[in-house]
Amino acid sequence: MNAPTAFEPIIGRYLTIEVAGRSYRIYVEEAGQGQPVICFHTAGADNRQWRHILNDAELTSQYRFIAPDLPWHGKSLPPEGFEEEEYLLTTEVYVETVLKFVEAMGLENPIYAGCSMGGRIALQLALNNPEPFKGFIAIEASDFQPAWYDIDWFHRPDAHGGEMGAALVSANIAPQSPRAERWNTQWMFMQSGPGVFRGDLNFYTKDDSLVGKLGGIDTSKTPVHIMVGTYDMTCTPEDAKRTADQIPGATLAVMDGIGHFPMSENPATFRPHFVEALSKMD
Amino acid sequence: MDVANLRARFEDMGDQLSRRPHLLRLGALFSETVLIEVDGNEFYLTFHRGLLEKVTEGPSRQTPWRFALRVDSASLEKFWEPIPEAFYHDIFGFVKTGRGRIDGDILALVKNLRYFKEFMALGRKKEAVQ
Repeated sequence: MNAPTAFEPIIGRYLTIEVAGRSYRIYVEEAGQGQPVICFHTAGADNRQWRHILNDAELTSQYRFIAPDLPWHGKSLPPEGFEEEEYLLTTEVYVETVLKFVEAMGLENPIYAGCSMGGRIALQLALNNPEPFKGFIAIEASDFQPAWYDIDWFHRPDAHGGEMGAALVSANIAPQSPRAERWNTQWMFMQSGPGVFRGDLNFYTKDDSLVGKLGGIDTSKTPVHIMVGTYDMTCTPEDAKRTADQIPGATLAVMDGIGHFPMSENPATFRPHFVEALSKMD
Repeated sequence: MDVANLRARFEDMGDQLSRRPHLLRLGALFSETVLIEVDGNEFYLTFHRGLLEKVTEGPSRQTPWRFALRVDSASLEKFWEPIPEAFYHDIFGFVKTGRGRIDGDILALVKNLRYFKEFMALGRKKEAVQ
């Protein structure tokens, strides 16, 4: 049976992986054929941030883009027993999730692309676990970002953490980005499960384990390309430059007129920068 | 921008607010006084159920307020450009760049953050992106 032409080319499926001794049912979207590229979303959101890249006919003719929802995010369920648990993501669990995901998907030499906390993990993987990967695209990524807000704001019994989170992250979206996509970007934060954004920020704003160690990344084996938007107030262009400067051979692209969620908030502005990033992985 | 112009701007923003049903819905539980201090000049904006009831000029040590936004007029003018430059596009940019300060009951602000940010953006010139 032929699929109706009105369908987008994106296919969504589920798989179960074991991480830190626990079972997680993961939702995965993918599109395209060729070099695999795994695409990781920001804190407090999900794989819909990558929808424009997965729907890009020219890019999907060369690349197989695979975008999971992390556990607790989007359509990936939290683990059994979550109801009595405080969700606090750690670097170790995130890294293991990526490695188990690559293994479970049977991917050979994938490019890793991640934004914000996903970009931070790109740097962790590049430093400590580069073997399975062809290269790293670290978007809105830096070695460390202490919080300029109180992460506990986003999980309270007397207020809607998702709405507050969306209103806060709107500070990181460029006013030039198309209105519809700015609001689509915020909607994911509005929909985020209770305490999930806070739990993501726990590791993102507290783990400074990369500080002083980025010089150990070997970009001759796995290239690292860092991208940053000029309207990003969380990971500023200065933060990204400081980070890139510490990695011998790393490249940096500063994207004018775009913020912390480039692939989601302004696909047209992001696209040429992402094409350039992919070309640097060869 | 002088004090009279600023006061007129805030009052105009209040008029615009009254014609924005989605903001009145978002601000339905917001009945607070907010201090906006520009170049040291105090403006007390009193909101009632999402409507801007009155703008009172300071200085005053007796007017209670819930939270305050303190900024210089040059930064506020940049914020009110149709497409503000980076770091002047959001009230938190004032804090990030050290050009302003937000203090008081920050949680009251955060609980009404979208409402208050969109109210502040009503000061943008007509072609502004809202």
